[in-house]
Amino acid sequence: MYVVIIGCGRVGAELARLLSTEGHNVVVIDHDEERFSRLGDAFNGITIKGNGVSTKVLQEAGIEKTDVFCALTNSDNINIMASQVAKGIFKVPRVIARIYDPQRAHIYKTLGLDILSETVLFASLIRDKIVDPMLSGFLIETEELGVLEFPVAERSLGKTVAETNIPGELMITAIRRPKRPVIIPEAKTLLAKGDTLVAVVKMASVPKIKNIFSL
Amino acid sequence: MYIIIVGGGKIGFFLAKRLFKDNHAVVVVEKDAETADVIAREFKGTVICGDGCEPSVLEQAGIARADVVAAVTGVDEDNFIICQIAKDQFRVNRTVGRVNDPDNERAFNELGIDVPIGVTMILAKIIEEEVSFSDFVDLLSFKRGKLALIRVDLPESSPVINKKVQDLQLPPSSVLVSVVRGDDVIVPKGDTVLKPLDDVVALTLVENKQQLLSFLIGKM
Repeated sequence: MYVVIIGCGRVGAELARLLSTEGHNVVVIDHDEERFSRLGDAFNGITIKGNGVSTKVLQEAGIEKTDVFCALTNSDNINIMASQVAKGIFKVPRVIARIYDPQRAHIYKTLGLDILSETVLFASLIRDKIVDPMLSGFLIETEELGVLEFPVAERSLGKTVAETNIPGELMITAIRRPKRPVIIPEAKTLLAKGDTLVAVVKMASVPKIKNIFSL
Repeated sequence: MYIIIVGGGKIGFFLAKRLFKDNHAVVVVEKDAETADVIAREFKGTVICGDGCEPSVLEQAGIARADVVAAVTGVDEDNFIICQIAKDQFRVNRTVGRVNDPDNERAFNELGIDVPIGVTMILAKIIEEEVSFSDFVDLLSFKRGKLALIRVDLPESSPVINKKVQDLQLPPSSVLVSVVRGDDVIVPKGDTVLKPLDDVVALTLVENKQQLLSFLIGKM
């Protein structure tokens, strides 16, 4: 894939290195040349010094043949404007923008941009760790579903996955068993002592589920 | 009219004072507390200290009833976002955005800002005109760059010298706006005769500009 990233901060540089190592064509744009040192020696993509909202700079970066455009500077406004230039003027198929301000993230989601708000993501993640260490509400981008990770209950031992699932409310999607690779279970997989179950759950049903499995 | 100006720098402040004098209701939104203070002391309209990129600040400025929002800060992406929020979220009729970096003019033009004002470009053109030794200068372009206003110094060798305006076969969609002769400004009529060293100001479609220039100046 041909990927253009604007903003060579920690996140931008890390992403650029990851993608470049996987063999993708990566172009990184930043107005501060010194930040390119973050990319390290192994990075074999292209770096361009310039302003990521400028149509000229983007053309120089090969925006016309870009598959994915990522706006990862630390300015929400630059990210929003650059994303719209990429999508609106150059018709880049996938555009991903980082936005810190949750309110603005909400506004621009409606414009058809793929918006990631690390503020929201990180706050939810920490909230889950504080309030409910077993539950991750942030993983799935809807407020209705969460991922619950819990030790197998005494009453479920020897039962199958199908028998343990609660239709419409809980579905076991993975089993972690000590010293074994993660198991993606089938309906007839038996639950064993020491298993940790990873299940997709309906957020509204969490109290009921906890009650059933005595969590 | 109810006008919100975001950015209280030199341009914003000056604009606010002028519009206020013309009896418009003007609200200035300025991010920097000190600058906002300075303006508030001199300006009789409303001054709000806050970030104009925040919808809540624009609401406080009364955007719901604003006829025009002018984003004139020194930061292009801020101006862009302000105009966009004004338009998309608050349905403001007319958004004016200052473009500082000429590289961004295309984005403003193509992504829905009603009136992008390329201040750097305009200034550069005026200065270019003042220092220019060439026979013609682009003064302005309008309507998203489709129309251009140009000024031509007629050289002695110009093919239109000593001709009446009514006899000229101007290229399509071009019109003579004025003729400056010495200190006089003449609005050209059919019987106006063009003289050497006349300054001719003409309006033309951009695609016909070259044709018009060759017509007025001769071989280029």
